Amino acid sequence: MLSYIVRRLFQLVIVLIGVTLITFLIMFAIPGDPARQLAGKSATPERIATISEQLGLDRPLHVQYYRYLGRLLRGDLGESYALQQPVTELIRENAPNTIQLALAAVLIELLGIPLGIYSALRQYTFWDTTLTTTALIIWGIPVFVLGVFVQWFFGLKLQEWTGYDMFQLTGAGDNILWIVPADWGSWSTLILPAVTLGLISVAYISYMQRASMLEVIRSDYIRTARAKGLSERAVVSKHAFKNAIIPVMTIAGIDLGALMGGAILTETVFSRPGIGLMIYQAIGARDLPVVAGGVLFATIIYVFANLFVDLGYAFVDPRIRLEG
Amino acid sequence: MPDRDTSGNQLTEDLTVSTVSELDLIEDKYSGRKPLGLWADTWRRLKRNHLAVVGLCIIVVFLAVGMTQEIANLVGLNTGEPGTGYLAPYPPNAVNYELSPKGLGSPPSWSHLFGTDYLGRDVFSRTLVATRISMLVGVIAVSIALIIGLILGPISGYYGGAVDSVIMRTADVFFAFPYILFVLLIMTVLGPGLWNVFIAIGILSWASYARLNRGSVLSVKAMEYVEAARAQGASDLRIIFRHVLPNTMAPIYVAIAMGIGGAIVTEAALSFLGIGIQPPDASWGKMIADYLTYLQAGSWWMVTFPSIALTVTVFAFISFGNGLRDATDPKLKE
Repeated sequence: MLSYIVRRLFQLVIVLIGVTLITFLIMFAIPGDPARQLAGKSATPERIATISEQLGLDRPLHVQYYRYLGRLLRGDLGESYALQQPVTELIRENAPNTIQLALAAVLIELLGIPLGIYSALRQYTFWDTTLTTTALIIWGIPVFVLGVFVQWFFGLKLQEWTGYDMFQLTGAGDNILWIVPADWGSWSTLILPAVTLGLISVAYISYMQRASMLEVIRSDYIRTARAKGLSERAVVSKHAFKNAIIPVMTIAGIDLGALMGGAILTETVFSRPGIGLMIYQAIGARDLPVVAGGVLFATIIYVFANLFVDLGYAFVDPRIRLEG
Repeated sequence: MPDRDTSGNQLTEDLTVSTVSELDLIEDKYSGRKPLGLWADTWRRLKRNHLAVVGLCIIVVFLAVGMTQEIANLVGLNTGEPGTGYLAPYPPNAVNYELSPKGLGSPPSWSHLFGTDYLGRDVFSRTLVATRISMLVGVIAVSIALIIGLILGPISGYYGGAVDSVIMRTADVFFAFPYILFVLLIMTVLGPGLWNVFIAIGILSWASYARLNRGSVLSVKAMEYVEAARAQGASDLRIIFRHVLPNTMAPIYVAIAMGIGGAIVTEAALSFLGIGIQPPDASWGKMIADYLTYLQAGSWWMVTFPSIALTVTVFAFISFGNGLRDATDPKLKE
């Protein structure tokens, strides 16, 4: 296990270097002149030169990258062109809302596991066909399309028909303990975006869980368990479940990336403050430090989340950690 | 000839056969059926999966609709205005305020099947023309990714060692970014536009093809026919692209189907966020973004039809891809 952890951490370091290098190149090497951008339109050439020197833009690229890494380690992601505010501060303001949304979506996503298992155990029955077809159709709905219609139906039509205003449609509520909604109003701003974001993953996870379960229940050790007279319940819950769920957990880890991308779109559709809406607004203003900072932040969270999923996977499945 | 009884099944399970065609030969030997080629056999199993067949039919129709202009050019029927699309009943960008009383468009009717939008443009024509953009993005972006992936993947798997490490660690880095966020970052730098969408999606999706293909190459390169080719003095390039690559393509076809679906959603998402296709060109994502506010005003048709077109297309690629995966997976053979 230890050698696996060491190997995996080594890989993590390489990935982090690669990710920061790419972000750095995008930030400093490709687009025009960052000093000109920061100084504003009416700046004098002297002012631009001063800023360029302050940022070290006149230095060779590798020195610049080295300094950029140093700034990153101190939590300095640069300053927003549009808002004249440190990017780190913007992220700190917006992160709790996005983390809250992502966690809620993950909890919803887990519903896919029992659905997939049920489908697999009833293969080719009416309910299996219905669930699988529904899953495929929902999987095909782009998250922003679902968001548009969820908002329209629950926010507008339901309110029109019942005359009762259940959901607050936009914005985000107050939280206690950073991410737990404080009151109904705060819950109501969370529920619709979370369902939107989670539902597509439910479809995906249930489809994968069904495939994984089907593979497991056809294996020899399940036949053995049945042959020795165990009840179907014991076969499924004790023997099949544990092995069928492992591949799905890794898929769920990889799916976190899709979830973070989806969070951007969901937050935009629902005008819900968060990293996604922040990036969206920054794109409109061509505010590169904020876009790059937001993407880097999300990427690092994703990289570490995958590290924990992999370590957990290796912990429960010895085949992984013993493999070369 | 032995039947497919217990001993027959036992035989197929005990032999550790590694390729589909070998399994086929064994199965066919015992079932007394004429051996089928790999693709005939895949098709036979794909046909049983109704969802996959539905997906395939939708793909064929949408590709034909999207590529009408290209097909017509190819057979020399190019008579219409450029950029209009031959099937669209109205010019997709023709503004007609009479068809949009109160600026809310007009609901579907026989002359305008999908209604008209807030500028009086025909939603059906726009949805139809946008099909072309989506199909172009799917095909071109995935082609770019495939070319990079199918050069780097086999090289990585075939040579191994330092080359392999460099390519695969680079792939790891590309995998580390949440996909759509990475595309957004690149698009922010490149700026909006159709070609930038192709490039951004293309250069960011190569890693999955490369990694997938590397795995297959590793298992194929140990086979006798590769050794035979080497013994005959074939060059590395010839061995890789002539002998190894063609035998590692089955999983790639599945990835292509899924990848095209993914590229289409990504373009729609970019256009929805305003940094993809630029007006006045119609794109499903852009239409959804533009018509969003009119949904709340009661004009449901504007946003509904492009949404359905987008969802149906993505569903088609996913269900066909899934069906193809099941049909080419030797483990799932009954």
